[in-house]
Amino acid sequence: MNQALLVAFWRQRLASPVRVTILALAVLGPALLAGNVRGIGLAPLGDAYPLALLFAVGMIGQDVSSGVLQLVLARPVTRAEYVIHRWLGAAIAASAASLVQIGLTWAMMAAHGDSPGAATIGGFAAMRELQIFGVTATMALFSSLMNGVADLALYAMVFLSGGVLGTIGQLRHSQVLIRAGEEIVALVSPKVDVAAFASAAPPWQALAMWGSNLTLCLVLAIVVMNRKELSYAAG
Amino acid sequence: MPPDDPSRGGTRALPRLLIVLAAALLVARVATGFFERPPVASGVERVTWEPVAAGEAKSQATGTPLLYEFSAEWCGPCRLMQHEVFDDAEAAAMINRLYVPVRLVDRQREEGRNPPDVAALQARYRIEAFPTLVIVAPGASSPTVIEGYPGKTALVRQLEETAARLKLSRGLGH
Repeated sequence: MNQALLVAFWRQRLASPVRVTILALAVLGPALLAGNVRGIGLAPLGDAYPLALLFAVGMIGQDVSSGVLQLVLARPVTRAEYVIHRWLGAAIAASAASLVQIGLTWAMMAAHGDSPGAATIGGFAAMRELQIFGVTATMALFSSLMNGVADLALYAMVFLSGGVLGTIGQLRHSQVLIRAGEEIVALVSPKVDVAAFASAAPPWQALAMWGSNLTLCLVLAIVVMNRKELSYAAG
Repeated sequence: MPPDDPSRGGTRALPRLLIVLAAALLVARVATGFFERPPVASGVERVTWEPVAAGEAKSQATGTPLLYEFSAEWCGPCRLMQHEVFDDAEAAAMINRLYVPVRLVDRQREEGRNPPDVAALQARYRIEAFPTLVIVAPGASSPTVIEGYPGKTALVRQLEETAARLKLSRGLGH
């Protein structure tokens, strides 16, 4: 583990006042709503993609377009190490934000005597962790393909195309199109029902799909980065 | 092109462990997809589905919200929801306790048209995808619609929270 790469990434992300402001709003807004309105449970917290995207957008592309990557790779760091540390940095930061949000919500709900059980909170937190690590891996791939923050546009396009394909499948009653839509959506918004592992039918397929998408995205991101020509002369 | 061996100063080495892991997980994904297909319904219904007219009358009489389940036989997520939620004793008991459940199975693909009550309710609630759950409280102006199967935990939570919210608004006289 290269701590210098992680710390550099977190510093870079937290140096943007706009990003920090959006992060604070994204963490505190839903937490205050869920913690103070009785009976709505954890629903306002929703999925963890916004938090993951806040840290992950432009994680590699911004370094490529700003020319920082050449300086990083002048040090004894392989491109694979660089990609994996960018992914880990984004995932760990978003995980921390997610856990802070859940902790705050739980504390406020407990203060009103309305908190869900530890198992519910644990399952919810674990589900969001899997989302975060999955989405950040997908964004590592998209960011290796697109310069700057254009990976966000690619993410939105893929997300929409998955939804459109699924809807067409529903309208045409086509199992193939529905399945294709599900596969695409699972890439950009992975969802593993962690609590279901305690049931008689654990969702092994969803877990395998999540792990497979995550590792494939990282491998592909490394391959894309290995093929990139980064010398100043290439520009 | 720089050398690939990191010991010689290259930056393009591929992490073998990650590649092996990705390949293993891809195999696991295909295998689980093959062996873990959404099962067909067990045949024993734990949810007490009511016919449309009887369900609506029961809902009006008792003040319990109606839970319409719009599904189709060809729909994979519907079978998964049946297996994970409606065949689960605890979830089924919760549904029977909090709702008057009514099932509406689409027959458009199999028979070219739907029974009149199914067609009318599909049109009324603008059903475009399966599964779709529609929760209607007696006297409420707008229904709660859950489109698609969000997973067992999320669905059960949503059903419990919606029932609690409707009960609360009934108590407040809205």
